[in-house]
Amino acid sequence: MTAPTMETNLVSYQGRYAGSVSRLAAYAIDFPVTIAVFYVVLAVISFFAQVVTGNPIHWNKANILVGIVFVAWHLFYMGYSWAASGRTFGMATLGICVVRADGTIVDSRHAFLRALAFPLGILTLGLGFLGILVQREHRALYDLIAGTAVVYAWDARAARLRFLARQAEFGVPAIPAPTEAGPSAGSAQAAAAPEGAQTSTGSS
Amino acid sequence: MNPRDRLRSVGRRVSDPAEALAQQAAERIVPMVVNALDVNELMARVDLNAVLSHVDLDDLLKKIDVNALLGRLDVNALLDRLDVNALLDRLDVNALLDRVDLNPVLDRVDLDPVLDRVDINALLDRVNVDAIVGRVDVGAVVDRVDVNEVVGRVDVGAVVDRVDINEVAGRIDMDALVEKTDLGAVIARSSGGMASEALDAVRSGAVGLDQFVDRWVKRLLRPKQPWPVAPPALLPPRAEP
Repeated sequence: MTAPTMETNLVSYQGRYAGSVSRLAAYAIDFPVTIAVFYVVLAVISFFAQVVTGNPIHWNKANILVGIVFVAWHLFYMGYSWAASGRTFGMATLGICVVRADGTIVDSRHAFLRALAFPLGILTLGLGFLGILVQREHRALYDLIAGTAVVYAWDARAARLRFLARQAEFGVPAIPAPTEAGPSAGSAQAAAAPEGAQTSTGSS
Repeated sequence: MNPRDRLRSVGRRVSDPAEALAQQAAERIVPMVVNALDVNELMARVDLNAVLSHVDLDDLLKKIDVNALLGRLDVNALLDRLDVNALLDRLDVNALLDRVDLNPVLDRVDLDPVLDRVDINALLDRVNVDAIVGRVDVGAVVDRVDVNEVVGRVDVGAVVDRVDINEVAGRIDMDALVEKTDLGAVIARSSGGMASEALDAVRSGAVGLDQFVDRWVKRLLRPKQPWPVAPPALLPPRAEP
């Protein structure tokens, strides 16, 4: 598959169920981000505690309380991100977002329910994530519980225009005409829906 | 008794029977005389021209009530006996029309009721518009049109209100637009940058891997029915039949 064909077909994937690699990559970004933010917050707390009390606080990673707080923070980060804009930082980077099972905007209740059910994927020794691969709508266990799904939502049309513009600018041979397949007939509308959903959710 | 009255009564007794007798005699004698008379011979001996020269025809015609005469005339019967075709054959219509001044006639014609009775649609059905248009010098017509004045009278707002901008925008070939205009360079310079380029590459790479994994999973599972590709609300609307 050549690069131009890939770019051409990407437009038709707007609004489709996101696959496992994109979702895993998004989480691979989110996890270190939450850890980094958590450590920064701990450092700030420790600094202020030292300023106020004169004694520094040493956080023990093996402390169960720290672990619980981290898990709570991690779930809150995801739940709040999904409720606010339908996507976490990692999901935004990969261009995917959480929607209701029928494709409508996810609300706060379902977003936090999804966050609470998320640990089930790990507690079931990874079986809860298996649905992303084998379920017909690529929905994991926590998606089924919360009534949500994950779809591609990045503006592939704009990306395609940027790709074409770079071709025109740097004299790369023109690509063949787009031949969009599947649900691609209204790809622009399908793409616009999740984007618009995120915008409205974010503004609310 | 007056002697005159006496004479009058005697005279009446004599005159009345005599008058009746004379009447009877006249009734018998006149037919006999008329029958014995050769009227044709008599008429032949009459100089009718001399007679007519003595008659004042104008005075006579003035005394005739023409309207009453025409009222008694059976025009239909007269027309039935008239060979109109023969009459028309002898008529030089062109010469007749040359002598007719149609303008005053037309001045007296009220065209509106005439036009009301005309079926314009049927008339137009019989007209070969293409042939007419083919004879029109459109260039000359356009030269006589003040386009600016015409455009000035157009309510552009109303026209734009009737245009489905989304439908028009959907018909734009963005690929050709970007490739054939400087728009591509504008986009490349304005939205370019390593970050967006890298992001596009990461996303498109991830989608490609998603497809790759998805194909293998389906190859292993062999689903009997195709999987849905998108949530219902995000599926594109189906085209109306």
